[in-house]
Amino acid sequence: MIPQFEFAVFVWTSYAIFAIIVAWQIFQPILRRRRLEAEIREELALSQGEYSNDPHP
Amino acid sequence: MIWQKIKVGFHKLGSPPIFYRLCQVLSPWLWAGFAVSLVIGLYYALYVVPPDYQQSDSFRILYIHVPSAWQAMAGYLVMSILAVIALVWRIRTTEIMAMAAAPIGAAFTVICLATGSIWGRPMWGTFWAWDARLTSMLVLLFIYLGIMGLYAAFEDKRKGARVACILILVGLVNIPIIHFSVEWWTTLHQGRGISFVGESTMDASMKPPLIWMIVATKLLFTAALLDRSRNELIDQDRRKGWIRRKLGASV
Repeated sequence: MIPQFEFAVFVWTSYAIFAIIVAWQIFQPILRRRRLEAEIREELALSQGEYSNDPHP
Repeated sequence: MIWQKIKVGFHKLGSPPIFYRLCQVLSPWLWAGFAVSLVIGLYYALYVVPPDYQQSDSFRILYIHVPSAWQAMAGYLVMSILAVIALVWRIRTTEIMAMAAAPIGAAFTVICLATGSIWGRPMWGTFWAWDARLTSMLVLLFIYLGIMGLYAAFEDKRKGARVACILILVGLVNIPIIHFSVEWWTTLHQGRGISFVGESTMDASMKPPLIWMIVATKLLFTAALLDRSRNELIDQDRRKGWIRRKLGASV
């Protein structure tokens, strides 16, 4: 149940900004780690000559 | 004896594999603590606490504005301590942590400025005023962005971190200016009224959600700091054996 507030536009806009920035703080490191792991996996495969897990042969 | 153990433990944190493991272990617990305190804080802030007799429901913005403002400044202090350690002892993991703290502190400063402006429109009749508190907080955002930009500008990450650490210490002068601005100058921003020890202009019934949200922002800062530091460490050490062994086993 969403509470009914006076100045609701101001209150909810503030909480929405907070939610978006907090979500960015949570997901940005996760996305970056996935990208880094994928890059390292690729480098490892290239250096070892193992292409069996390569999705784009 | 105990000091020797603390000293050895502190120096062990300088070892990248030990630091990586520490981040990996602590981070989920900190995120869990953040989620719990956030849910409790938001429940109290939005459902339990009654409207303010003067500001009505607009005062609920305070529950995200004040913890974010305090964390933006506390984050800068933490970053400054890390910068001193990085400059004096040249510990790479502290350099990485100091650099990782900047975007998180900047995020809290943006929350503080945005929510303060939104609250100011119905209460002050304006989104922005060039008063000392607001301007010094805007300067803090520019300092955070400057640190991030300076670090990114160097190809040699260690050199970039050292230069950025010096900028962090120069920018430290802004923190007492922010804190005392409402006392040193006549400002539109209200003076210090919230206190958890001694006299406070805030009624006791309104404090619990504020405490929970302050705890939540502290845990969020620490968890995000460890996660970002671990990523930066992976990036910097990607061609080293220990990281390849660790990631090679998991990926």
